Amino acid sequence: MSEVTLSHVARSYDGAPVLNEISLTAPDGQVLALLGPSGSGKSTILRLVAGLEPVDAGEIRFGAELVSAPGRTIAAEARRVGLVFQDYALFPHMHAAANVAFGLDALPRAERKEAALRWLDRVGLWHRAHAFPHELSGGEQQRVALARALAPKPRAVLLDEPFSGLDPVLRAELREVTLAALHEERATALFVTHDAEEALQVADRLAILKAGRVLQEAAPREAYDKPASLDAAAALGPINVFQGRVENGAVETPFGAVMAPGLAQGASAHAVVRAEALALRPGSRAKLLGLRPHGAHDLARIEAQGAVWHALIAPRSSLGETVDVEIQPAGAFSFPV
Amino acid sequence: MAVNAPSRLAPTALAPTLSFGSGLLRGLALLATLICAAPALAVIGLALRPEANATTIGAALLRDGAIGTLALMLTGGGAAIAFGAVAAWLVSLCAFPGRGLFTWMLVLPMAAPSFVLAYAYSGMTWGGAAPVPVAGFWGAAFVYAIGLYPYVYLAARAAFMSQSACALEAARTLGAKAGDVFWRVGLPLARPGIAAGGALALMEIAADYGAAQHFGLTTLSTAIFRAWYAHASPHLALQISAALLIAALFFLTIERRARGRAAFAGGSTRWRSLPRYDLNPAARWAASLFCLALVALGALLPLGWLARLAVLHGNISDLARPFANSVLLAGAGALIALALASIVAAAARKGGALGQASLLAAGAGYAAPGAVIAMGALAVFGFAREAGFVGGLGAGLALTALLWTYAARFAAAGVQPIDAGLSRLSKGVDASARVLGASVWRRLLRIDLPIAAPSLVASALILFVEILKELPATLILRPFDFDTLAVQAYAYASDERLLEAAAPSLMIFVAGLAPILVLSSGIARARAGAR
Repeated sequence: MSEVTLSHVARSYDGAPVLNEISLTAPDGQVLALLGPSGSGKSTILRLVAGLEPVDAGEIRFGAELVSAPGRTIAAEARRVGLVFQDYALFPHMHAAANVAFGLDALPRAERKEAALRWLDRVGLWHRAHAFPHELSGGEQQRVALARALAPKPRAVLLDEPFSGLDPVLRAELREVTLAALHEERATALFVTHDAEEALQVADRLAILKAGRVLQEAAPREAYDKPASLDAAAALGPINVFQGRVENGAVETPFGAVMAPGLAQGASAHAVVRAEALALRPGSRAKLLGLRPHGAHDLARIEAQGAVWHALIAPRSSLGETVDVEIQPAGAFSFPV
Repeated sequence: MAVNAPSRLAPTALAPTLSFGSGLLRGLALLATLICAAPALAVIGLALRPEANATTIGAALLRDGAIGTLALMLTGGGAAIAFGAVAAWLVSLCAFPGRGLFTWMLVLPMAAPSFVLAYAYSGMTWGGAAPVPVAGFWGAAFVYAIGLYPYVYLAARAAFMSQSACALEAARTLGAKAGDVFWRVGLPLARPGIAAGGALALMEIAADYGAAQHFGLTTLSTAIFRAWYAHASPHLALQISAALLIAALFFLTIERRARGRAAFAGGSTRWRSLPRYDLNPAARWAASLFCLALVALGALLPLGWLARLAVLHGNISDLARPFANSVLLAGAGALIALALASIVAAAARKGGALGQASLLAAGAGYAAPGAVIAMGALAVFGFAREAGFVGGLGAGLALTALLWTYAARFAAAGVQPIDAGLSRLSKGVDASARVLGASVWRRLLRIDLPIAAPSLVASALILFVEILKELPATLILRPFDFDTLAVQAYAYASDERLLEAAAPSLMIFVAGLAPILVLSSGIARARAGAR
């Protein structure tokens, strides 16, 4: 396995830029999650790293080796990367074991078969070795795809929304299997997802993308606690936004003050508060418009001075029709407009 | 910003296979485009050449041909469109006795070229006289209507089946009855499909030579032959060919546009079995009877009658040579057309201007009637002879021209099944194979070909039978004394020897059934919710 580095990479299709000045590092043996909405360019990054497309500018390295630069692209088949797709992309005319063995043709036949079976065993599918893709469930197909990608001991594993087609329970289970296998192999991985929660769970490093640019690259905790911009904050969970002016080092919102360190007095600013950084207790400052279960939390809609915010609070809180609101500083940020 | 460090790249690790593969494909795609487009371009080019002794006969022939073709399109084509659309609606969305059986039987008339149906009906006598005389203009219109409705039926059925069941269910919950839903929801949603199928049927009418000639009609297709043989004017024949080609391209454009829109009309992609209407008893039997009439008139009756005549009058020894010639020509032609179709399909999937151009050229070849392509091929060989590249049109050269005509004419018919096969290869599959280290040849042999194999076989079958059924181009280009089944049937029918024409006609009909059945079951399976 080796570190994967992208430096100043750009790519456009028919003159329309899809990636701009992308610089990222997937550290050796770690998972770099690429988080962004569709159209943000995250899948294109995987295709460039895989060598399926050339870069227009910049370079990509595996360790010290240059694999992509304008006019020079090491072919995908010579790169030794593993790819896992949302639609599994198993070879439909080969059974599971043959799929896994496909990348092992450097080995003698007997060893190849044994290695394929060993990999199927590791993902819990030894008993399905001779099943064809259409005979496997979605989760099983994705396990085969994972085994197929990891079996040839690639220098990097690229996962393109690998669990998107699966239901939440299966998703969580498969995430565990995948992370365990990646860590055991000490695999360098690029993991593309549009699901913030999934990105935070799988990532050792997290890159947030929007419209072909990197908004922020950081450790997941840092990205969550210290977002670089409003968009970066919004990418990792529901937020409330209020536009106001900086007075005495803070932006006064209808629900309380948000500190604005480093912003000039009187400057126009966005105060951003994560929904889970609002604490409610019985009081009179804001009106409670509604309360609904939201997974492990309850989602409260509160209103003050005409502004409606959302708060994720402990479930089954007993609150009256009006509440007091406390903004917890760890989840509140200010950005210049 | 461009960072180049070429010295650090191992030269062997560059992408030689990739660039070699796509360079080769580009070259082949260019060749395929030329092969398909050259005859059509030659026709247009030569027709535009000024001709010293242009005659009023030419103008009259062109006008009469255009009127004849148009009239047959309006009558026979209009009826085919109505029959096909109604039949598709009935089997897709209504419950009535025999529905399952009719679903596939309704495509059977597609197996017979129009001239075979024409010969079958003309030969039908009972007690020495025809029970219902099928002759003249209305005879041709009848033959087109019952022979070509399956083009509309297939396209409309696909459209009805791909319609969101939700939209139809919603219409039902809003209280609409079967007929209401047909007019207000089903038909508007299926209109692009019906238009596409209708355009194909009209193209077939424009291209038909055998039936129109048999019924003694002047159409653009028969006018080409008349200009050449009766008026000895190759230039006039080319001019009429050009007019016919332009008409065909017009319908091709309609078909493409309609199909393009149909692709977006799907709505929900979650298939459920479509809601079927229970008709009242009278309507139920009327539906069965309607479908039965189409199948009986389009396939069972002519097939049965041809079989009867063939048994009574067939002379196997007469047919041995034409049969061998047909199999030889169709086999060789199918292989060449298949290779061409594979190149076009692969180039089209790769996208880009060249892919589009090759697809367009193949489409134009398919739209153009066989006589037009044959005229074009002759013209190209004429150029070559003027330039001194080849000698006279001997048997070998004539066969080459004929095979070329088949390839240019039918490559497009093979493209779609091959493309369907290639579409099973998701981008992910190819990418997975590449990153697992498979070279371009290993991907071709281990991944692409095995996955596409069933489609290639289906494609070859379709091409084989299409060529077997071909009449006008074969008539123009075949070497002297080289008869195929179609030519033999035509020759007998021209001599009013309809009894002898029955056996070769029957053989063409039966051979035509094979790909029709393959095609039909493929369409039924394409829809997951279908039973």
